[in-house]
Amino acid sequence: MRELAVQSAAAFLAVFGFSIILDAPKKYLLYAGLAGGAGWLAYLLVLSADMSLIAAAFASSLAAAVLSHLFARGLKAPVTVFLVAGILPTVPGASIYRCVYYLIQGTTELSTYYLVQTFQIAGAMAMAIFIVDSLFRLVLTRSVWRASGDKGSSAPDCSSIHDQTDDLQQKHLPH
Amino acid sequence: MDYEALMEMAVQAGEIMLISGAEVYRVEDTIGRILEKSGLENRDVFVLTTGIVATLSDPCVPAITVVRRVSKRSTNLNRIARVNDISRRFCGGQITMDEARKQINDAAKENQYRFREKFVGYVMVTCFFAVLFSGGIRECAAAAFAGGFLALAVYGTSMLRLNDFCQNAAGSFVLALTASAFREYIFPGLNMDAVIISGIMPLVPGVTFTSAIRDTLNGDYSSGVARMAEAVVVALAVASGVGAAMMLVRMMGGAV
Repeated sequence: MRELAVQSAAAFLAVFGFSIILDAPKKYLLYAGLAGGAGWLAYLLVLSADMSLIAAAFASSLAAAVLSHLFARGLKAPVTVFLVAGILPTVPGASIYRCVYYLIQGTTELSTYYLVQTFQIAGAMAMAIFIVDSLFRLVLTRSVWRASGDKGSSAPDCSSIHDQTDDLQQKHLPH
Repeated sequence: MDYEALMEMAVQAGEIMLISGAEVYRVEDTIGRILEKSGLENRDVFVLTTGIVATLSDPCVPAITVVRRVSKRSTNLNRIARVNDISRRFCGGQITMDEARKQINDAAKENQYRFREKFVGYVMVTCFFAVLFSGGIRECAAAAFAGGFLALAVYGTSMLRLNDFCQNAAGSFVLALTASAFREYIFPGLNMDAVIISGIMPLVPGVTFTSAIRDTLNGDYSSGVARMAEAVVVALAVASGVGAAMMLVRMMGGAV
């Protein structure tokens, strides 16, 4: 229990520091740290339930991404500001480094092992983020449709939907 | 409406976002939304990780096309957030084009943190990552010092205007040397692996690799492949820096 608290606090502080390196806006540093701490807590909880590393990475990014999207909508900032640093603790940085390190050392088996691990972790994380992105986009699209329906056939108001989340495939109504 | 000025502003906004490390689709989206204000029929935006192409055309006016090459990229989330906010207010009609242009130029120059604060950031990341890699107090202390030297090395090489590969390699070289020195002279029996892995965390391309897969899932294949290549190059730089330091230590008779 104490270990969980200590580790989550450490993840919070590490993500806070990483946000400074990435030049995140000062007022959002705390929020990015929160996303990171929550992500790491989810990671530890899943691991302690005897599930795989991949499941843990998935759950962790799911938690970090949901929080980041909520912050992004609440604070009207792009979701990247919270998400990039927030997923840092789980990201397969160590695996990709070890993969290349053993490649240079000539230990091919270990290198392959870590390459596969990199793809597994990064793939699970990307899937989690992708799912959360899509869900939030779905909610957003529906609210926009409803808003434009009220206004009749007038052109959409781009300010209401503009990029509070990753709404890249947002289709616009014709003028 | 002055279409050329609008185009210039849109591409400028996109360029700042791309240089600051924004995702390709976000840049395309922002430029597209600004160009939408022109009311012209055809607005095509094509963004790669290394450049921007945008065209405005309509049956009644001559087409305007702008190509912008982007070579240097480094992450700056504040600029992304600022430009995003400015373009949102411009599209919402809250500010005029002149105001938006002025604010975009200001955003491009803004630097939030001085080196001192970045230094603290590096030390925080390395020190607290040692906790996550189940290191003890000694590992945390060593990683914090290594992170400090890493920050100095990265800052020094960026002053010399070396390219990213050299910056990352120099940074991880200094870091691995610091870790070995700690084990040799201060904490014998130090868990070197934990210290080095926590130390390279600020450099290592885990986020890039994850974004590469995200881009690919989103259907941005060219950007996905480009990012993956970037991740491999950065990892290579970091690993060769650490590898060179290890070799040096071994040659001088130290234990690795």
